[in-house]
Amino acid sequence: MKFLCVPCDQPMKVLTVTPPDRGSISVTYSCPACGYEMAMLTNPFETQLVSSMGIRVGPADAVESDKPKCPFSGMVAQAETAAAAPDDGVRWTEEAAARMQAIPDFVRPMAKTGIERFAKESGHVEITLAVLDEAKSRFGM
Amino acid sequence: MKSYHDITGDGGSNILEQVTEQKDRIARALSKVRHRVAVGSGKGGVGKSTVTRALAAALAARGFKVAIVDADFNGPTQARMTGLRGAVPVPGVEGLALPKSRDGVGVFSVGAFLPESEALDFASVSHGESHTWRATKEFAALGEVLASVAWGKLDVLLFDLPPGAERTLQFAEFLGKATSFVLVTIPSEVSRGVVARSVSALAGTENSLLGYVENMSGYHCADCGEIKPLFPETKDGIVLDLPCLGRVPFDPALAFACDRGVAFLDLPETAATRALSAIAGRLVESLEMER
Repeated sequence: MKFLCVPCDQPMKVLTVTPPDRGSISVTYSCPACGYEMAMLTNPFETQLVSSMGIRVGPADAVESDKPKCPFSGMVAQAETAAAAPDDGVRWTEEAAARMQAIPDFVRPMAKTGIERFAKESGHVEITLAVLDEAKSRFGM
Repeated sequence: MKSYHDITGDGGSNILEQVTEQKDRIARALSKVRHRVAVGSGKGGVGKSTVTRALAAALAARGFKVAIVDADFNGPTQARMTGLRGAVPVPGVEGLALPKSRDGVGVFSVGAFLPESEALDFASVSHGESHTWRATKEFAALGEVLASVAWGKLDVLLFDLPPGAERTLQFAEFLGKATSFVLVTIPSEVSRGVVARSVSALAGTENSLLGYVENMSGYHCADCGEIKPLFPETKDGIVLDLPCLGRVPFDPALAFACDRGVAFLDLPETAATRALSAIAGRLVESLEMER
């Protein structure tokens, strides 16, 4: 979708993208020629269609949603409730947590839950790179 | 006044670039995978997952490096079949490491972390409209899986597809022409009819159709030792216009092994396991694979 400033016959540029509010995002556009600004306000249906493609509206440095982007988050929350909940006392070292951050959002919650469960079962109170390696061995990787 | 095509870019979101980057990430992640084979059907309940699981094990037994992507996010079975329920992917230096079955097959399956009593649920801001976006989201999630796993050097990556002739076509388009297809049917006219629709749908793509497997092709009678029919034999029935890679008789021991996640290397040799091993051999020939 592109927006055109009709008086100037110029394509408008994205200025800002606000975080979703009840499923709606607000994208502000500006005409580079006359400076006229307008906003596109999506309904939840439109927001969902775009987010389902795994793409982001707005410039790369635009404000991101403060809601979880994980498409599995609902399911993972249920899984965590249904299965044995990981020990709240399990800590992650910075290095191990950083490695988790390097993987995509939607994989992270399920992997985190499983690794914390593994750590608890193995008697670890802190998840380090060594514990991650141990988990890999345990799962035959 | 300018038209859509007179304007370069899209105002700052770079949607096309984002889509291209997604595809590039997948291509990079799969760059050392020699062959991609999707096991589909169109028809549900014909044994796609069992055939996928068995082919993976048979190929691994021949010394090939194999992994499975359980692409049926809504009815995942590979985690159970491979004995990997609860075994989640773990992040390594180069990406996600996959759990492996006891017979050496790497497996990504939503069933590894989703309890079987739970339906897969996606977070959504649009309620009651999932029929409009759900398939798109599932493919985006599959793309993330493909891009984030450290596949390494693989001989074969098998995709266990969900049922539906239209879904088979969607996966062909999503996975691209580098992915070959094997279709699974059972010896019923109903099943052959549905699979024939999948063949027709795939004919419009550039994907290679390697052949079909006829599953539940009779059963082994323990009393007389013969293979007897499970379905009525019909004359002048639907003929699938593609090579038959093999016929697999129904085997309760194989069904038990799939239910319990028993490694195939622990199974005794039966008519079914011999048939599956032979099919794996024909697959190797079709793909012109060398170890």
